[in-house]
Amino acid sequence: MTSTLEARELVVVREDRRILDGASILVPPGEAVAIQGPSGSGKSTFARALATLLEPDAGAVLLGGLDAQRIAPTQFRTRVAFLAQQPAMFEGSVLRNLEAGPQVHGKSLGDVRASELIRAVGLDEPILQREARTLSGGEKQRVALARALANEPEVLLLDEPTAALDPDAGERIVALLRELRARGLSVVMVTHEEAHARALGGTLYRCERGRLAIDS
Amino acid sequence: MSYAHITLPRLLLSLALIAVAIALSRRSRLGLERDLVWGALRGAAQLIAVGYVLLLLFNHEHPAWVILLLAVMLAVAAATAARRVEHGPPRTVLFPRAIVAIGAGTLVAVVPVFAAVVPLHPWYEARYLVPISGMMLSNAMNVVALVFERIFASARSEADQVEALLALGATPRQALERQVRATLRAALLPTINGLLTVGLVALPGMMTGQIVSGTPPEQAVRYQIVILYQLVAVAAVAGMVAVGFARRLLFTARAQLVLPRN
Repeated sequence: MTSTLEARELVVVREDRRILDGASILVPPGEAVAIQGPSGSGKSTFARALATLLEPDAGAVLLGGLDAQRIAPTQFRTRVAFLAQQPAMFEGSVLRNLEAGPQVHGKSLGDVRASELIRAVGLDEPILQREARTLSGGEKQRVALARALANEPEVLLLDEPTAALDPDAGERIVALLRELRARGLSVVMVTHEEAHARALGGTLYRCERGRLAIDS
Repeated sequence: MSYAHITLPRLLLSLALIAVAIALSRRSRLGLERDLVWGALRGAAQLIAVGYVLLLLFNHEHPAWVILLLAVMLAVAAATAARRVEHGPPRTVLFPRAIVAIGAGTLVAVVPVFAAVVPLHPWYEARYLVPISGMMLSNAMNVVALVFERIFASARSEADQVEALLALGATPRQALERQVRATLRAALLPTINGLLTVGLVALPGMMTGQIVSGTPPEQAVRYQIVILYQLVAVAAVAGMVAVGFARRLLFTARAQLVLPRN
């Protein structure tokens, strides 16, 4: 079961600059949405506001029609998983990283589920025992995806997941996101790369000067 | 009680020790001469002043005066702990919180001891209350300063980790747990080291003072043991309270990390 994720007229002002100037978006259940725009256009700020990691000065984020203000942040962020551009790896093995999400909710992950998750992001099981901080950029991105999936989210929200990767690794991540969407997850990807935005499939929004518009 | 009197000329003689440090500083071009002179004069002036304050207090022992003096000591300790926190909020924000943290730590350590271990007659007996509270305030001050300094710095340098945990649905408490643990360990370590090395490396100041002024060593030792245990309680409570404040300053009500801008 996935829910609609929506942002209505988000405004973020920092030091007298309107970084977001009434940005809105609608992500129907199971849909893919790419947000493309040049650097400095406000798209990363938008992603963080949509993830409720940043409080907008005006506007609202809604999940399943309910204002995010009325959903506990811990619950919202379990349902909407956010991945930063260069996801931070926690100290310890990849397995420890995968366990982090369930652990904060007082659950345990289990070895079988850990193996499933790592395979779902296109990695092999031996990597579970490796030190997470020694992985390559592409591997870290995948581990972060698996770590987010361990919470069984409804929406994946990714900020520039391909920006720090070489072209091949970037394309493989986009393909993986398409796969996850096919399994019923909603996917929102922020990117400055036109090709990746198109490759995701689904709706394409352009971000310019803090506003979003559907690319027709 | 008998002890060797320090006459004024003899006191001035001790300035030669500062002269040694100044000579070394000049020879090695450390540039510390001014600080040494200023520090030596200021330290002496502060101590002489407090000596007169204590004399006055002992002669006119009244609860209001004792409490006033303790309040001034608390304010100075809090102002010191709240200043120069490089990655933290401004001192105006930290100062009231430092007052509460240092005050809470000191109360927890001082009240039960004076109620049950070293009963005072009357309860505001300045001879005990002022110096022992001073030691507690000073330890709490150091712990709170360390906590503020470290927790804001590590929240900044590890912001991506903290946010990654928040993004996984962690509460602010869970997201900052690692940094809090490291901070409290670092802040409590000097006090714990003090416990481990006491008597082996140095005789503590108060015990030395008591022995010099004629208290039987076995009583001086007992006093010192009580004080050491008090210092531990002070450090733990003041550190915990300061961490609690820091956590509230680092997150919004909606569990968003906000790094203080300075």
